[in-house]
Amino acid sequence: MKRRLFIASSIAAALGGCAPIGTALNDNPGFHHFLGLEGSLDAALLGNTAGLARQYSLADISKHFPVDSLPTPTSTKYEAFLENGFRSYTLAVAGAVERPLQISLARLERMAQQTQITRHDCVEGWSAIGAWTGVPLREVLRLAGPRRDARYVVFRCMDRDDQGTPYYESLDMAQAYHPQTILALQLNGRPIQPDHGAPVRLRVPTQLGYKSAKWVAEIQVVGSFAHLYGGKGGYWEDQGYEWYAGI
Amino acid sequence: MQRLVYRYALLTRLAHWFGAIAVAVLISSGLQIFNAAPYLDAADRSTPTRRVLSIDSPADGVGQTTLFGHTFTTTGFLGWGSDGVGGATARAFPGWLTIPAYQDLADGRRWHFFFAWVASLAWLAWLISSALKGNLAEMVLRPSDLPKLWPMQAYYLRLRREPPPHGTYNPLQKAAYTFVLLVLAPLIVLTGLALSPGIDAIAHPLTVLFGGRQFARLWHFLAMLLFVGFAIVHIVQVATQGFFNQMRSMISGWYRLRENESVGP
Repeated sequence: MKRRLFIASSIAAALGGCAPIGTALNDNPGFHHFLGLEGSLDAALLGNTAGLARQYSLADISKHFPVDSLPTPTSTKYEAFLENGFRSYTLAVAGAVERPLQISLARLERMAQQTQITRHDCVEGWSAIGAWTGVPLREVLRLAGPRRDARYVVFRCMDRDDQGTPYYESLDMAQAYHPQTILALQLNGRPIQPDHGAPVRLRVPTQLGYKSAKWVAEIQVVGSFAHLYGGKGGYWEDQGYEWYAGI
Repeated sequence: MQRLVYRYALLTRLAHWFGAIAVAVLISSGLQIFNAAPYLDAADRSTPTRRVLSIDSPADGVGQTTLFGHTFTTTGFLGWGSDGVGGATARAFPGWLTIPAYQDLADGRRWHFFFAWVASLAWLAWLISSALKGNLAEMVLRPSDLPKLWPMQAYYLRLRREPPPHGTYNPLQKAAYTFVLLVLAPLIVLTGLALSPGIDAIAHPLTVLFGGRQFARLWHFLAMLLFVGFAIVHIVQVATQGFFNQMRSMISGWYRLRENESVGP
């Protein structure tokens, strides 16, 4: 009996130790950083592959597209946009570009539009299919002409968390020039609704949903994003999520 | 007559222990990831009408699990349980089952993806070393083993005095190892990859093969449950079929043959 008790208790100790040992290691900054190196490996292996996200048919569109983001902006500026139907909205393109721009919504609407019926994959695990219509980001970047030192495109957004920290995201130049990376103006044939990111939402179907920033106000071309906010290239990245969100 | 035989090569033993640790981490970090969207749908996109499993908390202090439309109260374990920092909260899988113990999707993903590489490399090391050493040929289930499966089960059920004659691995071991290592392990890697939008963009057929992203998540979860089932049987077997001998052989390589065992086929 003693022998059996010893065997049973050593197995129980080994199994029961998993979560506490894992948690202790997780709280160790060095080990935490070490685990994160895997994200850089994914970015190197997959970050700039040219594959296209799968296109679906109209019949596949989700009946309900979840809203799962920071709250819709409540600033007086955004309230004013809502009142005038975004007529006063302009998208700024700035930073390491030859021709900084202020593009009105009307001008964006006049540019050649792309419609993609693609699946939005949330990092939490849910997926929804929508038809997104908008301007390929690369067409907007071509208007502005990124300089040679341009490495990343940063998206500054109008939404803020309850601490007042603004949302932002970033893509490298190859991801920004991907043919399916668009500045979406419509969802399912209607102008994007406020809670889905009106008037302009970035759409990056080859990566997880947190890359597809809502309420984009400014596009800033940079050589590095290390000086911005938490320095990790995005609101969720600053909280530990991977910069390359293709996994 | 009892004698020691050198059963497991160093690479096989390393692969076993790295694999075992990796699988334990993958299961607990996977449950952490599941908690962020605690439901499984048999569809490509999230579809509540095709929900197979959901774990939620309808009210404070109550946990419930719904499987194929049947709801069970699972307070204290599923839906409402340990928050990992000394309290209780609305949470699909409790803190004592997840890495980290508290709810943190970003960190759960770090653990999961790092140890997915560890498990995959351990599997590859095992495959190469056992193929080279000949263990793989001894371990794979063959058609000639099929008639011996029931006699072996009858022996375990004490319906039969002697196990049927077999080599290093008995027929049930062969069936279990062949299924887990050559079917389940590749399947769990592929269903995991099928969840990734970056992989989906370069390999549509993979995600399509499993019925889409949410469906792949369901298969990934089911494959995990089968892994858990195997681990339970495996650990019970090790504990009851000569624990110290089994542990020694997987640590040092040396295994003491019992009366009815032979060295090989």
